Amino acid sequence: MNYNWNWSIFWEPTPEGTGTYFDTLISGLEITVLTALGAWAVAFILGSLIGIMRTLPSKPLVVLGNVYIELFRNVPLLVQLFIWFFVVPELLPHALGIWIKQLNNGPFYTSVVGIGLYMSSRVATQVTAGIKSLPSGQRMAGTAIGLTTVQTYRYILLPLAYRIIFPPLTSEFLNTIKNTSVALTIGLLELTARARAMQEFSFQVFEAFTAATVIYLILSAVVTIGMRLLERRLVIPGFNGGK
Amino acid sequence: MFSDFDFGVIWRSLPYLFEQGMSFTLTLTVIATIGGIILGTLIAMMRLSSKPILSGFAASYVNVMRSLPLVLVIFLFYFLMPYIGQWIIRADRPIQVGALSSTMVTFTLFEAAYFSEIMRAGIQAIPRGQVSAGYAIGLNYREVMRFVVLPQAFRNMLPVIFTQTIVLFQDTSLVYVLSITDFMGAASKIAQRDGRLTEMYLFAACIYFIICFTASTLVKILQRRVSIVR
Amino acid sequence: MAMIAIDNISKWYNPTFQVLKDCTTSVDKGEVVVVCGPSGSGKSTLIKTVNALEPIQSGTITVDGISVTAAKTNLPNLRSRVGMVFQHFELFPHLRIVENLCLGPEKVLGRSHDAAMAKAEKMLERVGLTKHAQKYPGQLSGGQQQRVAIARALVMDPICMLFDEPTSALDPEMINEVLDVMVELAKEGMTMMVVTHEMGFAKKVADRVIFMDAGEIVEDARKDDFFGTPRSPRAQAFLSKILAH
Repeated sequence: MNYNWNWSIFWEPTPEGTGTYFDTLISGLEITVLTALGAWAVAFILGSLIGIMRTLPSKPLVVLGNVYIELFRNVPLLVQLFIWFFVVPELLPHALGIWIKQLNNGPFYTSVVGIGLYMSSRVATQVTAGIKSLPSGQRMAGTAIGLTTVQTYRYILLPLAYRIIFPPLTSEFLNTIKNTSVALTIGLLELTARARAMQEFSFQVFEAFTAATVIYLILSAVVTIGMRLLERRLVIPGFNGGK
Repeated sequence: MFSDFDFGVIWRSLPYLFEQGMSFTLTLTVIATIGGIILGTLIAMMRLSSKPILSGFAASYVNVMRSLPLVLVIFLFYFLMPYIGQWIIRADRPIQVGALSSTMVTFTLFEAAYFSEIMRAGIQAIPRGQVSAGYAIGLNYREVMRFVVLPQAFRNMLPVIFTQTIVLFQDTSLVYVLSITDFMGAASKIAQRDGRLTEMYLFAACIYFIICFTASTLVKILQRRVSIVR
Repeated sequence: MAMIAIDNISKWYNPTFQVLKDCTTSVDKGEVVVVCGPSGSGKSTLIKTVNALEPIQSGTITVDGISVTAAKTNLPNLRSRVGMVFQHFELFPHLRIVENLCLGPEKVLGRSHDAAMAKAEKMLERVGLTKHAQKYPGQLSGGQQQRVAIARALVMDPICMLFDEPTSALDPEMINEVLDVMVELAKEGMTMMVVTHEMGFAKKVADRVIFMDAGEIVEDARKDDFFGTPRSPRAQAFLSKILAH
């Protein structure tokens, strides 16, 4: 292969003059992590609310939750991001739309919201499944000692359900990290975008993408190990999940 | 609110959107699904093999692929394939690999990792007794797999395989990053040419929703059927 | 005055399946009433209607003069005064034993943590499980879990208690440790409604026995009358089966 290897490329300055290629990759990693954390916060909170809603005895709320999930699950993330980034500002009142378009970190906020909503439908599915996997007697026992519905969820159903769905939630968090790369299409300078830019400027294809690959692998390993440690701390003696 | 918008642009570009865009999207989906299932099944069998080299290789392949974002893998293979091709056929210079064939290979290799996990779960769910019964009537390993285990595993996992195919169908929109004219690519080209982003992106979202929602509803019905039979 | 008054209640699971048919009975203060009958007879459903865990479609129920069925009744408040023990214990697996006992008093009754702890320790001592206070439910045997469940009901200072087949999920050697606690309670004058097949318990402490079949109260008699000469053939058949061995 007549490819000019140049592993020292990482320590050379970029044409943009903002530091070395290594610096740009690290700043890409930062954006990836920040976006993923923000989107996960949105996904976790909204997803939990929707997921809980689907286990309530009210039929309209269940239907509303189902509609929400179908809506966000059946449109590709790329399309959803385009809609949040290009379409929604057009549909809002003019002044508000202009303000949004001129936001400094527009791509970042759009990604947090867009990826967050997209992932929230997946989190909701897991939360519903977790609550439904609990024996019905648990809800009854809470009700029987006089807990209100809110208290029953807060003290009994949710602590159990989150433990049961911990492993699938971990993989949804990893998916959130991976999905941040889709946001390069709306101009988010995250890790994949940085690797692509490095390849364009330096022509060192292998080095740029090898670095990004290694960073993603490390990131995913760190999250997996961290979650496993956390999971071990949450184990309840004598309890091995739902029914 | 919609008074400024011109939805006629959709009507005028329908042939382009579907004959060029959607037909590529569907072709890629079908090829990557079939290729992914075949390769994925092989990887799953390697993963379950008692030879550490095979199972180790399969496990690393699956874990690495599943740790990487598809967008990165699309770029990676697009830029690497010319060099890999050159190395394979011992050419003087990097070979020409078009964006189309590059994405076909990429999606097949990428989705194989996900399909292999499905097939592994399917194979593992078949009771040991089935394998023993296969050996007992004199079949060898390949025959047990081919005639006893895989048909059952595939059948049981059919709903999950279809669900993954819907995910794959949505994932194909990411070929946008290589400026390929898939359905989304076609929509965005018209959108930018005519300055009709709102109309085109909303229309694209609707079409994706209709297809995916219909497909996932059918999968649910299938799932109910399968669970009744068992 | 009746502590629990059940008046002409009916319940349907769907338009074609009626689980409770015009049931009427009552439990006086200090009385112990055993409800028995074949499986599927509606006895568990009946007892769960008393604290509205199972809604009913017609009829009325009052507990201590308060209507269970009226829309404006504060159900959490009412339920907090009615102790309930389930077939499968239903302890909260993620909480330690003592936390299981403090949850209701602190979150429902608004007692201080110290007061709740003092009460929890007292009730654990009463059911003989003081040294297990810091364990999780999954670490105890079935019999021990059910005794904790009884203690969890008692810390709320209930005015009456409902037992839904409290021993039928237990291994035979653990049944007596639970029944002993229940007998003690009965002797102290607790108002109790008990769904059970343990006829020994009924003979020992029950005042009345209710026999149900196919959603109906077939027999509602004083204990001696019931075990002496049940009037209905269905009750006789049931008794001869259950007392045969």
